[in-house]
Amino acid sequence: MIDTLTDLLAAGVALAVPVLVAASGELVGERSGVLTMSVEGMMLTGAFASVVGATTTGSALVGVACGAAAGLLAGLLQALLSVVLRADQIVTGIAANALALAGTTFGARLLLERGTVVPGFDRVAVPWLSDLPVLGPALFQQTGLAYVLLAVVVGLGFLTSRRTTWGIALSAVGEDAASADRAGVPVRRVRFLAVLVVGVLSGLAGTQLALAEVHTFTDNMTAGAGYLAVVAVIAGSWRPVGVAVAALVFGLAQALQFTLPALGVDVPFALLVMLPYVLALLAVAGLVTHSRPPSGLTTPFVRLGRTA
Amino acid sequence: MLAALAGAPPAEAAAALWDGMVGTPYAIGSAVNTAAVLLLVAAGFLLAHRAGLVNVGGEGQICVGAVAATAVGTALPPSVPPALALPLVLLAAAAGGAGWAAIAAWLAVRRGVSEVITTLLLNFVGAAVLVLAVHEEALLRQPVTSSETLPQSAPLVEAAHLPLLGIPGSPATVAPVLALAAAGVVALVLHRTGTGIRLAAVGLSRPAAHRLGLGVDRLRFSALTGAGAAAGVAGGVLVASAPHVLDDGISSGYGFSGLVVGLLARGSCAAAVAVATALGFLVSGGINLQLAAGVPASLTQVAESLLILGIAGTAIWAVRAARPRRAHRPDPTSPRAEATP
Repeated sequence: MIDTLTDLLAAGVALAVPVLVAASGELVGERSGVLTMSVEGMMLTGAFASVVGATTTGSALVGVACGAAAGLLAGLLQALLSVVLRADQIVTGIAANALALAGTTFGARLLLERGTVVPGFDRVAVPWLSDLPVLGPALFQQTGLAYVLLAVVVGLGFLTSRRTTWGIALSAVGEDAASADRAGVPVRRVRFLAVLVVGVLSGLAGTQLALAEVHTFTDNMTAGAGYLAVVAVIAGSWRPVGVAVAALVFGLAQALQFTLPALGVDVPFALLVMLPYVLALLAVAGLVTHSRPPSGLTTPFVRLGRTA
Repeated sequence: MLAALAGAPPAEAAAALWDGMVGTPYAIGSAVNTAAVLLLVAAGFLLAHRAGLVNVGGEGQICVGAVAATAVGTALPPSVPPALALPLVLLAAAAGGAGWAAIAAWLAVRRGVSEVITTLLLNFVGAAVLVLAVHEEALLRQPVTSSETLPQSAPLVEAAHLPLLGIPGSPATVAPVLALAAAGVVALVLHRTGTGIRLAAVGLSRPAAHRLGLGVDRLRFSALTGAGAAAGVAGGVLVASAPHVLDDGISSGYGFSGLVVGLLARGSCAAAVAVATALGFLVSGGINLQLAAGVPASLTQVAESLLILGIAGTAIWAVRAARPRRAHRPDPTSPRAEATP
């Protein structure tokens, strides 16, 4: 029983990391007033690019760089559409996801060979701490990349907290773009940068999934994790800690898919697959009344008095 | 063009694409069948979109509609006449899709949750429901006789099969007729009835519609459920066409393509018919491209999504062009109208 719990927690935390990394990026984006639905596609693109980079050069670190760069490019595209061209954020986001899915599926046929070894990251056990019962393996036996990414997430959280100039600017732009503009905050630049942050973090999240967890690229390997990240932001009431908790819950729900069958519990696999999404639905249905999205979410900014 | 990347000679690829689209009566027939499915989803999308709701859940609604249709279609006794069996199956499909969309509609109306998020999540749950249904013998899986029994349902009773149109060598069923009828009904409701105007009022401004005394919640609920019903029928059509069984790959992206059709049609049902037809031919050409020239069919999806990104990205110029010309100085009486395009 204890062993199972230990395994479940370890797998849950491992699966929560990509969701958390992507969600913390998405949080920055949404706080600036841009809803980036294309997290899913950015993760997939990042995963694909990292595997391509890692296999062609044989270096996992180059893979990480490629994943981040691909995420940045995807973020650039989305920022161009959402901020500069003021296109419908939801429609373009979902279309970008479809593009990423089809593009990476196509790309995988061209660039990736089945069965090649993908250089990746192995689990690092922190001495002593990882021997702790139950929580030890979950917290102190993740991959090096996971630790680095978690540090990035925490750093980003502090940089954009409501106590720093950047964080205040971010919230101002998201809540009341017109006032922020009058106060001299470069609204579009802040939003553009925020979407780039979403892109890079989503790309890294995909990289983590591909290089540290699955150790290969498979078609549609994110399978909705990006959408879970978007929902984690909503379920977490646009607060970093809440988002982290939501990501962890989704990670644990996903981990049940692997732990329960290993235990011999006879639950239909499809039920376990739908569990994270059912939880996500319950989360948005139950929590949305207690919190409020940034007022300017999905509203493009045009300075008053300018003709479109 | 993109095909060249995959190492296929462009001429050969183009020939394969063309062959898959209009080369044989078989190709034309299956393209028209695909178009019908897309049109059904798109007609529903247009209905909900008129009320300001974006139905992203076509995929999940198709899955649940197909499951419901199969449940009825396999349970009917073989002696039921087709005139009864087929409507029953399609009705079940509509009910399944509508019920699935009703979850999102209820959440949107009662709890104010964005229907985009909920319909999207319901896609994943719906797909899992489908997988569950075809993997569990207690549900819809055909009796497992050996280890090679595929995870799919038993075939629907003969009477529930969609009749063919009877064109020699063509698999075209009555689905296109059904889809055209559905699009016609939606067009009629949207453009010729009071309900259509009420839906448009809700779509344009909920507060204003509320002050006019319209049942805003009821209208939004019905619009989204109606969209689900149409997508559900699309699922029913899919199982009622050859090979008349339900398997877990039954809706490979039709929900998304239907959404594309709905978006491209920009509120016009006639445009939806044209776009669905074009896309139907493109999709079935893409499948042949894969079979004949070895070019992955995902290329069609690349083209599709680039198309939407292009259209959504250039919408700002379309809006600008549609506006009446005005003086350089903004109208001082309505500065707010500028801020919220």
